[in-house]
Amino acid sequence: MQIGIFGVGDVANDPVTGTAATEGGRIKAVVEYAQRAEEVGLDVFAIGEHHNPPFMPSSPTTLLGYVAARTSRIQLSTSTTLITTNDPVKIAEDYAMLQHLADGRVDLMMGRGNTGPVYPWFGKDIRDGIGLAVENYALLRRLWREDVVDWEGKFRTPLQGFTATPRPLDGVPPFVWHGSIRSTEIAEQAAFYGDGFFHNNLFWPKRHVRQMVGLYRRRFEHYGHGAADQAYVGLAAQLFVRKNSQDAIRDFRPYYDGSAAYGGGPSLEETSRDTALLVGSPEQIIERVLEFREYADGDYQRQLFNVDGIGIPHRTVLEQIDQLGEIAQVLRKEFAVGRPAHVPDAPTHQSLKASAEVR
Amino acid sequence: MVRKVVVLSAGLRQPSSTRLLADRLAAAVVRELGELGAEVELEVIEARDHGHDLVNNLLVGYPSEELEAVLGRVAAADGLIAVTPTFSASYNGLFKMFVDVLDDEALAGKPVLIGATGGTGRHSMVLDHELRPLFNYLRADVVPTGVFAGPEDWAAGEATELPLVRRIDRAAQQLAREIVLRDPVKSVDPYDAPTPFAQLLAGD
Repeated sequence: MQIGIFGVGDVANDPVTGTAATEGGRIKAVVEYAQRAEEVGLDVFAIGEHHNPPFMPSSPTTLLGYVAARTSRIQLSTSTTLITTNDPVKIAEDYAMLQHLADGRVDLMMGRGNTGPVYPWFGKDIRDGIGLAVENYALLRRLWREDVVDWEGKFRTPLQGFTATPRPLDGVPPFVWHGSIRSTEIAEQAAFYGDGFFHNNLFWPKRHVRQMVGLYRRRFEHYGHGAADQAYVGLAAQLFVRKNSQDAIRDFRPYYDGSAAYGGGPSLEETSRDTALLVGSPEQIIERVLEFREYADGDYQRQLFNVDGIGIPHRTVLEQIDQLGEIAQVLRKEFAVGRPAHVPDAPTHQSLKASAEVR
Repeated sequence: MVRKVVVLSAGLRQPSSTRLLADRLAAAVVRELGELGAEVELEVIEARDHGHDLVNNLLVGYPSEELEAVLGRVAAADGLIAVTPTFSASYNGLFKMFVDVLDDEALAGKPVLIGATGGTGRHSMVLDHELRPLFNYLRADVVPTGVFAGPEDWAAGEATELPLVRRIDRAAQQLAREIVLRDPVKSVDPYDAPTPFAQLLAGD
């Protein structure tokens, strides 16, 4: 079971103290979270990609490359990489480069983006969102797997005799997760390729998460990648933890109420009930995360927690990561109980390299 | 055969003249469907009962469990009677919020009877200038007769050129006929039958 942190890099003022956030401050802070996550024994650090304020991470491989140099063990990932508006050639090259620099500690999560205008800003049309995700990813896979690619599609200039450089580390492309909240086409895509499926269950009621994951699992089996319970499933959560639950709720509420995503909508209590918002004591958090297996439709491979953003102060985020380090130890032990031996772990560069050698 | 008819009423007061009109329309539709040999399962939805859930849905992008069930029953209905009071020359905001959180396809091909109330008969064009285009956009099959009820309609007898009761009957006949022309709505589970990947890859 991989347990880690992810963020989207929003630059938000602290609604409690009024302290103004800066892009530079947030960029440095996020790097520090990645290092702290490694120090406390977490497995994954993932950062999003956005091209509009109030978000700062427009350039994820630059940020992850820097993190790679300052860490040695933690897996570096994305939450998410825009498979729609990025050129798949550039994704192939950027992440192969990162793979080499990070000694293989790299995977990606594909997403389609959060804002309508991002498509036209990059010369695309949002109505082609699914089509772009399908075609661009098909090309990306070929660029990583074939040394010389001839290609022609609907959305990009054709390629003749093109070689993406550098070639993937050890000839093994990074593992890919596909993230989607409600598009069944993306679950189908992940299943077709035998890739991972990540559900950001923060923004969709958990009763639907199971249906989407269930669809992915059934189709994973249908396409011959293994049994449904051997498919690779990842889930998200928003975390705020304090030694006792009253303090957690009291301290988190102003950030919840003041956030762009939640403010003015359902109460903290309602959102906690319906989604993967976890606010409470370590014991409560552990109990709820263990129940996520219900929504993952079985044992799953990756659990990422959002601990920063919405103006939460730097020191508080570091405290959250420290707490999560301890929580993760319990979760790993508990998740292992009764987990069938044929349920795989999330693929890593080492595991993919080993299975490529067997073949 | 059982036909499901849903009534959406966006009245705000108790008692509500909008609800009064909605109930009259519903009773007429039930009677007409009965004459055509159909059994009717009728449900009345007061948009007001879901006011907070509607706002929350717009803000966070997903419905509460209760609202989701209601929206599902609208989508699964064989016919819809939609009635709103006139506010500032249009349907009221609550009515529009309800329509805004419906699935894009929820009303496609569905027979819909539109009704409205207003403080003066001069608002009666709200049916054809506001409600009809809205439901056309959603690809609903709106029956030709819409029913507007102003203050004078509640006291108009046979002497009036076209009394309310006659307009209600005509609209109800049209809706009932459209409903029985169609197969009952079958609910589709989107998680059950995904588009096969080969089809996605082919760009279909």
